[in-house]
Amino acid sequence: MISSWLNRTVLRLKALKRRRQLDRDLDDEMAFHLAMRAAKLEALGGDPAAAQHAARRRFGNIGNVKEQSRAMWTFTALESWWTDARYAGRSLANNPGFTLVAVLAIALGIGVNAGIFSILNGVALRLLPIPSSRQVVSIDQIFHGKLRRNVHGETTLVSYSEYLSYRSDNHVFSGLLAYEPFLMATLASAPPKQLFGAAASCNYFAVLQIAPSAGRAFVDSDCAAPGTNAVVVISDELWHSSFAADPAILGKAIRLNRVAFVVIGVAPPGFTGTEPIPSAFWVPLTMQPSIEPGREMDALGDANLSWLAVLGRLRPGVSLEQTRADLAVISARLDQRHPGAFASLAIRPATFLGRQEEQSFVFGIGGIILAATSLVLLIACANVANLLLARASARHREIALRLSIGASRWRLIRQLLTESLLLALIGGACGSVIAFWSFQGISGFLLGHLPRNFPPLALNLAPDWHVLAYAFVLTVITGIVFGLVPALQATRAELNTALKEEGYGAAGAARRGGRLRNTLVGVQVAVCMILLLAAALLMRGLYVAQTVDPGFRMGGVASISFDLRSQAYDDKRAAVFQSQLIDRLASLPGVDGVAQAEHAPLDDSHNQTNFQLPGGHGERADVDHLEFDNVSPAFFTILEIPFVRGRNFTEAESRSGANVAVITEAAARTYWHGADPVGQTIGHGKKELQIVGVARDAQVARLGQHPRPYIYLPAGPEHQILVQLLVHSAVPFRQTETAIRSAVHMVDPDMPVDIAPLADNLEIWRTPSRIVAALSAALGALALVLAITGVYGVASYASSRRIREIGIRVALGAGSRDVMGLLLRQVMRPVIVGAVVGMVVCAAVSSVLSAMLFGLRSYDPLAFLAVPVLLLGVALLASYLPARRAMRVDPITALRYE
Amino acid sequence: MTAKKENPGDLLQGTLDLLILKALGQGSQHGYGVAEWIHATSEDILRVEEGALYPALHRLELRGLLAAEWGTSENNRRAKYYSLTAAGRKELAQETEHWRRLSGAVARILQTA
Repeated sequence: MISSWLNRTVLRLKALKRRRQLDRDLDDEMAFHLAMRAAKLEALGGDPAAAQHAARRRFGNIGNVKEQSRAMWTFTALESWWTDARYAGRSLANNPGFTLVAVLAIALGIGVNAGIFSILNGVALRLLPIPSSRQVVSIDQIFHGKLRRNVHGETTLVSYSEYLSYRSDNHVFSGLLAYEPFLMATLASAPPKQLFGAAASCNYFAVLQIAPSAGRAFVDSDCAAPGTNAVVVISDELWHSSFAADPAILGKAIRLNRVAFVVIGVAPPGFTGTEPIPSAFWVPLTMQPSIEPGREMDALGDANLSWLAVLGRLRPGVSLEQTRADLAVISARLDQRHPGAFASLAIRPATFLGRQEEQSFVFGIGGIILAATSLVLLIACANVANLLLARASARHREIALRLSIGASRWRLIRQLLTESLLLALIGGACGSVIAFWSFQGISGFLLGHLPRNFPPLALNLAPDWHVLAYAFVLTVITGIVFGLVPALQATRAELNTALKEEGYGAAGAARRGGRLRNTLVGVQVAVCMILLLAAALLMRGLYVAQTVDPGFRMGGVASISFDLRSQAYDDKRAAVFQSQLIDRLASLPGVDGVAQAEHAPLDDSHNQTNFQLPGGHGERADVDHLEFDNVSPAFFTILEIPFVRGRNFTEAESRSGANVAVITEAAARTYWHGADPVGQTIGHGKKELQIVGVARDAQVARLGQHPRPYIYLPAGPEHQILVQLLVHSAVPFRQTETAIRSAVHMVDPDMPVDIAPLADNLEIWRTPSRIVAALSAALGALALVLAITGVYGVASYASSRRIREIGIRVALGAGSRDVMGLLLRQVMRPVIVGAVVGMVVCAAVSSVLSAMLFGLRSYDPLAFLAVPVLLLGVALLASYLPARRAMRVDPITALRYE
Repeated sequence: MTAKKENPGDLLQGTLDLLILKALGQGSQHGYGVAEWIHATSEDILRVEEGALYPALHRLELRGLLAAEWGTSENNRRAKYYSLTAAGRKELAQETEHWRRLSGAVARILQTA
C-alpha cells in the first residue's frame, strides 16, 4: 500500500518536472489513436473528413480524457491552491492602498498580541535554561484546612525534613534538589555589595546538570553537617563584576554576611539560578544558619517551616501523572504530622516564576492584558472585514460572472479566503517581527526604570517556538475571522440581478452588506469605547494615587535601612550601634529629628500579628490579626502624625519596652465604638498592653485604602536589632545622604546601608498602576486609531455609493444641510449604538477593575464624560470629511457618475 | 474531486481494467491496439468509448501494474507502448480468478431463478 503510494508520488514528481513534456505526450497519444482509427475507417471506404469525424465520435470527449489523465499525473489540489495564492497575491498587488491599510491594521493587532504574549512567555512559560529542561519539575505544597505553619518566603515552600522525605521516598526522580530562594547577603568589598543568592542542597548542580566553568560544584560531603563547610560557588557575573575574572579565585575566601566562604567553583556564563532574580552565589543548604545569623528560626530543624523551593529531575520515561501519584503517597504520610490539615501538591514543568502564587499572579495579570489586546485585534479584524466587504461589492460582477459560468461557491469562497489568509500572514509576519524587536526594547526600558526597591530581573523575551506558534495560530484565526463573513456574503449573489445591474450594486445584496458593515462599525466603536474608558479610568486612578494625602509628612524625611542581623550583631551590640548612630545623626546640620521604626511607612513589607481586643472578628471573638509597627516617640513628631486623644510614648517607655500601645482612630472606632480607649488594655501574646494614646489615621502600611485598625508599639531593647531609622532634615536630600552615609560608616565601616527619601516608597505603590496605565493608554490609542479608520472607511464608502443620489437631491433643490444630515445620520447611527453598548459594558467591568488597583473609582464622572465626547467627536469628524467631499461634487458630474 | 470521477463508458471500472490487463497479457501494445483487441475478441459486443481507455491506462501505470515506453508503430509513428509488470501479471491472475468466481455465481443464480 505504502510502496504503491510512494511509487505514484515518485512518478508524479517526475511528471511535475516536465509538465510540458507530459502534455505533449498526452496529445501525441490521443492524436496517434485518432489517426489510426481514421486511417482504418478510411480504408473501409469513405472520405477522409467523414472518417476523421467518426474517429472523434468513437473516441469521446478528448478534453475530458486529457483532464482526467492530467489530474492523475499531478497534484491538482495543491496546484489549484497555489493558483489561488498567486491570484490573491496579484489582486493584492493591484490594490496597494487597500493592501497597505489592511496589512497595517492586522500588523498592529497581531503585533501587540504577540508582543504581550512574548513577555508572558518569557516570564512564566519558558522552561529553565538548563540541559533537558523538560525533565525538570517544580513541586509546590498547598495546605488545606487549619494549620499553624511558620513561613519564611511563601507558604507553598517545604520544610527541610519534608524535603528529605520526598527525596528519600520517591521512585520517580533521578534527583531532587532544594534551595532557599532570594537569600540576601552582603559581600564584604569596598563598598559592600548586597547580593541575591541561594542556599542549595549539595546535589543542586548535579540535578540541574550544570557544570561549573571553573573549579567544582558541591559534593555530598559539603552538606554533611550543619555549619561546617563554608564553601561557595559564585556566578560568572559576580566573578567578572567583583573579582575582575581573577583566574586564581578558586580557594580564596570571600566574606558573605561577615562569614568567610571558600570559593570552590564558578558557574558557567549565563547560569543565574532558577529564580527570576539572578543568583550571584550558592552555598550549601547546611550553611544556612551561618549565613543568616540572628533569625529567630531554626530552619534546618523546624519541620513546620516553609522555606525551601524544590525541583526534581524525572527519570527517563516517567510521566507527570506517575510523579503525582508517587509523591501523593509521601505527602499523605507527612499529613499525619499535622492533624486537621492536609497538603496537595502542584507539580509542573519548572519555569522561572513557577510557584503557585507567582503563577496565579502572572496569569491573572497576563490574562487581563491579553483580553485587552484581543479586543484591539478584534477592532482590527472588523476594520479589515469592512474593507473586504467594500471590495467585494466592487467585485460583485466579477464574482457573479464566475458563478454563472460554473465556478462552485465553495471554490470561490476558498479563493477569497486564500486572499484574506495571505493578507493575515503578511500582516502577522510584519506585526510579529516589529513586536519581538520593540517589546524587548520596551521591557528593557521598563526594567531599567523600576523604583530602587525592585531587584534586577532576568527576563528572556527572545521569541521561542511557543511565541511563534501563538503568533501563527492567531494569524490564521484572524485571517479566517475577518475573511469568512465577507466571502460568504460576496458569493451569495443573485446572478440575474447582479449581472444586469450596471454598477449600482444589487439592491438586496447592498442592503445586506450595509447591515453587516453597520454591525461591524458598531462592534468596533463599542470595543474601542471599552478600551478607552478602561484606559481613562486607570489614568484617573493613577492621578488620584499620585496626589493622595498619606496622612503623614514625607518631605525632608530620609529613610535609612540596614540589616543588623545579617551583619552578625547581637541585641547588645545592636543597641550600642543604634544609640551611637542616633547621636551622630542628631548632630548633623539641619537634622531636627531622628526616629526608629521597624518598618518605614509604606515599606514593601509589614508586620502583622494577633491582638486580643474587645469584639474582634478573628477565630476567637476577641482576637484580631492586625498590622503593627515598633516605633520610637520621635516617629510621630517627625512624621507629624497628631494625637487625637491621650499622649505619645515617653522616651523612658520606649527605652524599657514598657507594656504600652498607641492605637489609631480606626482601631478606636472599630473596637471601642466611640468610647475612650485610653487606659484600656489589649492583649499581645502573653503581655497586657495599656493604651496611652490614639493617633490620627495615616496610610503607613498601605497606600490608598480606607483606614484600617493599626497598632503602634514602643521600640524596646529587643527591637534594637530590627529597627530602621528615619531622619528629618532641613537641608536638601543630596547633602544629607552623604552626611548620613559617613555617619553610619563612622559607627561601623562595613555596614551596608540604603538611604533614600521616604517619598520614594510611594513608587512601590505607584509603579504597577503606572505601567498598567501606560499600557492601557497605548492600547486605547491604538484602538482609537483603528476604530476611527474603520468609521472613516465606511463613511467614504457610503458617500461614494450615494454620489448619484446626492446629485439628484441637489438638482431637485435639496439644501446642503439636509443632504449632509442624511449622510451623517447614516454613518453615525451604528457609531452611537456601539458607543452606548460600550459604555454599559464598561460600567459593569469597571467595578471589577476598581477592586484591583489603588485609586480607581468605578464611576468616575470625568472619564465617563470625556471619553464618549472624544470618541464621538472624532467619529463625527471621520464621517464628516468624506460627506463633505461627496457634497462638493458638481451635480452634473454626480449624475454621470459611474 | 474531479480526479475521482471516472467515466468508463458502459463498463464497470474494474472490468475495463481487467480487459486492459488481459489485452496486454498477450504482449506489449499501444492504446489503439488495446482498443482494437477488445473490439475484435469481444466481437464488438463490448462497446468501449475509446477515450475512456486512456485514463484507465494511466491509472494502471501509476499503480505500477503497467510499464510504458515510447516506441515506433508499424506505420512509423511515435506511439506509447504499454506492457504488464510483474505486479500487473499477478493482478491479472487474481482478477481473472475473482471474475470467474463472480460470473459463475451469477450464472448459477440466473439458472435457479
